[in-house]
Amino acid sequence: MDRRKFLKTGGRFLAATPFACDLLVASVASASGPGAGRWGMVIDLRRCPEGCDACVKACRRENNVAEHGDPRWDVHWIRQVEIRPHGQEDAPTRTVPLLCNHCERPPCAQVCPVRATYQRDDGIVIVDHHRCIGCRYCLIACPYNARFFNYRENEAWPNKDYPKRSHGVAESCHLCAHRLDQGRLPACMEACRDAGAGAIVVGDLDNPESEISRLIAANSVKRIREDLGTGPKVHYIGL
Amino acid sequence: MSGDRKSPLDGNLVKVVFPLLVILAPLGLSVIGAVSAGDPGAEEPFLELPPEPNEGCVRDAEFMRFHHWELLREVRDQVVRGGGRHEISLDRCRSCHPSRERFCSRCHEAVSLQPDCFGCHYYPADPAAAVDHARAGR
Ligand code: SF4
Ligand code: SF4
Repeated sequence: MDRRKFLKTGGRFLAATPFACDLLVASVASASGPGAGRWGMVIDLRRCPEGCDACVKACRRENNVAEHGDPRWDVHWIRQVEIRPHGQEDAPTRTVPLLCNHCERPPCAQVCPVRATYQRDDGIVIVDHHRCIGCRYCLIACPYNARFFNYRENEAWPNKDYPKRSHGVAESCHLCAHRLDQGRLPACMEACRDAGAGAIVVGDLDNPESEISRLIAANSVKRIREDLGTGPKVHYIGL
Repeated sequence: MSGDRKSPLDGNLVKVVFPLLVILAPLGLSVIGAVSAGDPGAEEPFLELPPEPNEGCVRDAEFMRFHHWELLREVRDQVVRGGGRHEISLDRCRSCHPSRERFCSRCHEAVSLQPDCFGCHYYPADPAAAVDHARAGR
């Protein structure tokens, strides 16, 4: 068989290989293809009640985020962090929910050697845990400490409809991509609304009519460490 | 001359055939044992089959038998990288094959495979657990 013939046969073989997955996956292409928008978040800190952690709890429950009761192993997708102005040791602290900023130019995705971390068309930065080799480069690269590593196996599995992660892979908030793809709200936003605070709003930054765009236009918003050039997409009001 | 020369077979009998016997005897015995014990699969099929075979399965049984893992892998990549995460779920597999222990694991164990799908994806080994899950209202 000459080279030409070999390639021809091989090509035919390859063309026949992909099993038409229409039966299993009804409308994958339309779910997050271009035009699905560019997801972002606004957190209105003025509406965050003192000591509330509804979003943190809801996230843990929805996404089976591991909590081992030991800060060395605990994983957080969204967490309450105490901050105070830089260099003022005695200034009063305030609590701010911190999560992955779904950067426009995500350092975590840039350093991932196997492209397990990638950015979807709609701007969500997400980990393909099947592909993650556990090198932890992304933990180092993320300037927001938003990445966490599963150092051990997590047995708790509150939401059986969503996979958990085995030990050895990195993870962070994926803006409840599985819910957004279904047209549902992220768990944190839902819980925040249910708690009566309504501080978290997730929406399409590209659509000027969306609630989030109007909030950003009407208020003075801050993003964390904008100077780094990562283009964080979590906007804080009242920071 | 030929009288005082031992047949090469005599020396080798001890050196070769006896150890060979020692090695092969347990093997032979186990084969005999297995055959005489009868085929346990005769009463119960090796895999727990669904009540309505191949009713509404995504592919025919022959394809699934040899290529389900390729299909799963391909769909996985489409769903994870392409989005549409809600479109597919192992629930559909579970509706016909409720027991992972009596379906998936039988073959995987027989061929010494340890696919680590189920460390992260919910597919209880025992269908009773799945019922509990459904009853708990998710
Ligand atoms: S906040 Fe961190 S984990 Fe999230 S996209 Fe940016 S660099 Fe990646
Ligand atoms: S830990 Fe996983 S996701 Fe992070 S950089 Fe390494 S391979 Fe990529």
